[in-house]
Amino acid sequence: MRRGRSGGSGWRVLLTFVVLVASSPTTAAQVVSQRGFIDGSVVLFPQEAPNDPVRVIGDLLARDDVFVKPAPWLQFAGGIDLRANTHDQVEDSWRVDLTDRTIRRPRVAVRRLSATVNRGPLTVDAGKQFIRWGKTDIVTPTDRFAPRDFLNVIDAEFIAVIGVRAVVQVDDETFEGVWLPRFTPSRVPLLDQRWTVVTGQPAELPLVDGGSVLPGGSQAGVRWSHVGAGFEYSLSFFDGFNHLPNIAPALQPAPPSLEVTRVYPSIRTYGGDAALPTRWATIKGEAAYFSSSSPDTDEYVLYVVQLERQTGEWAIVAGYAGEVVTTRRAQLTFAPDRGLTKSIVARASYTIGPTRSVGFETAVRQNGAGLYAKAEYSQARGAHWRATVSGVVIGGGDDDFLGQYHRNSHVRAVLRYSF
Amino acid sequence: MSNGQAGHAGQAGQAGRAGRAGRTVLAVFVVLATWIQVRAADNARQIVEEAQKRTDANSQRYEGLLQVFDAKGKVSDKRWTFERLGSHGRSKSVLRFTAPAEVKGVALLVVNHPDRASDQWMWTPAIERDRRIALQDRSTRFFGTDFSFEDLEERDVDQYDYTLAGDDTVDGAACWKIQSTPREAKSSQYTRSIVWIRKDNYAFARIENYSRDQVVRRLNYSDIRNVQGIWTARQLEMTDVKRGSRTRLTLDKLEYNVPLKDEDFTLQAIRRQ
Repeated sequence: MRRGRSGGSGWRVLLTFVVLVASSPTTAAQVVSQRGFIDGSVVLFPQEAPNDPVRVIGDLLARDDVFVKPAPWLQFAGGIDLRANTHDQVEDSWRVDLTDRTIRRPRVAVRRLSATVNRGPLTVDAGKQFIRWGKTDIVTPTDRFAPRDFLNVIDAEFIAVIGVRAVVQVDDETFEGVWLPRFTPSRVPLLDQRWTVVTGQPAELPLVDGGSVLPGGSQAGVRWSHVGAGFEYSLSFFDGFNHLPNIAPALQPAPPSLEVTRVYPSIRTYGGDAALPTRWATIKGEAAYFSSSSPDTDEYVLYVVQLERQTGEWAIVAGYAGEVVTTRRAQLTFAPDRGLTKSIVARASYTIGPTRSVGFETAVRQNGAGLYAKAEYSQARGAHWRATVSGVVIGGGDDDFLGQYHRNSHVRAVLRYSF
Repeated sequence: MSNGQAGHAGQAGQAGRAGRAGRTVLAVFVVLATWIQVRAADNARQIVEEAQKRTDANSQRYEGLLQVFDAKGKVSDKRWTFERLGSHGRSKSVLRFTAPAEVKGVALLVVNHPDRASDQWMWTPAIERDRRIALQDRSTRFFGTDFSFEDLEERDVDQYDYTLAGDDTVDGAACWKIQSTPREAKSSQYTRSIVWIRKDNYAFARIENYSRDQVVRRLNYSDIRNVQGIWTARQLEMTDVKRGSRTRLTLDKLEYNVPLKDEDFTLQAIRRQ
């Protein structure tokens, strides 16, 4: 294990990628596709947080993904993010970040960089890529190669991982193996900002970031999926590290402070997921048992059962996410996946017309201690522009995962230009 | 026996003969009508079979322009590329959006079956996940267009029962008018469809899809041209009768029998952008 520090060789890697693509032997016959957007957003919080008086945050993101196919069996994918933020959520440095391990979001980041080789039933993806497992939407217990950016806890984007993924698809059976030589953690809320809520901390004791203890070993997983006539299911196994950290607090005497260190425990998960369409709705279920050799980490089962239905212009998902702790070991954690369990969750969207839609989302803890509700209106204009306005209400008590964010209800406006 | 009685008996005998003759005529009429109906059904099926046979191809590729006109006449454009391997009930197709920018990369894989409804999966690059489109969700609109997911399946002659419903003209072309009723295994949102098939080239000219007794969607085929020996409509216009909106699909760069591989029509393949 070692303290995390991101490398600065991103420019070289990016340059190598460009040279590799440009010099591929069949350049003339290449198929190139691209997609991207520039996204400006403003978030307004009506309430101040005890550790964060800032109530208006502006954010800018420019993203571009390029896909190059020099031959039918080979594809390169590259993507880059450029960011700016008014609330110090983005690093100052202009270095190109490849690993996405930093506390703040990198200003310039390689979002993806991978090569895909396809021969008959075999597909191999190597490089920085997105790997998604599981079928459910609300909580996804088997989705172990999908760390997320939780700077804003309820609006978390996925972060790509670096590794190799091999898939063999034979008729209705798919076998998948993943190996990641390097660990990518989820990005957690900044200590001095409103999405970090510390209760019971003496007011005079400042929080100090002790950094991350990033595990050095590799991670691996295998998955078997079967697609039947009208139903499908998967079984999976993962051996690696939780991308969500345990929190190790330590009192520092001089100057007096509480140092907070993030530790990523080794875990193994045994999981499965299934989708069964019925006459009225599709039933989806997903569960995973999390075991750990770490003495400070709980062992537990996460499970989700959800119903999905599209009818007319409505798309509706509703379900229950649950947790059963089999071994409890006292530890502070940052675990939004577990935090959203023991909840009834629902999402609905309605398409008003070709350019307009509304959406609703809610999570209610079964003990009533936490509530999250979101409403969103989105409208496109022309072929490139889309404006989205959303309002989020969070309520509940300080000792509940959702409820602790009750000062973070907000309104968000986003203007996106896609190209 | 008196004359009167004999007369009555004669009248009764005549009436009995007349009754038997009437029943015979009725029976012959019923048999004839059934025979005609069976023949008509046979003919209807033969016509559809012939139409299907004439559009058989190993593969197809085109670039589509979708123009959605809402009830107020507002237009929004979408573009996709379409590739199909095989024909009719034994085909697989991949449809991938290329415009507008915000839906670029969204892909739909359709695996058609001769004896039942297709299997469909949608790949959404924004969340890097595929999702199976369940049977009960196939009646919903496909990405804000007036085509439903079911309308993107390829019809196969064995999925329906047919009845010849007469002759008609569409855009000046003489057509057979055929009623097709989906068999149970097809699991269709439509209770029946009326199909117009042109007599001169066996090309589809129009389909009206019914839910109970109401026409819910109408598909018009136009700009029918011979492409590599196959009479193909270059423009399809789907009208959602209830909403009053319509979607026009214009086929560009249409080619048949292009070299395509089976491995490009899998869940793994639609992940590749």
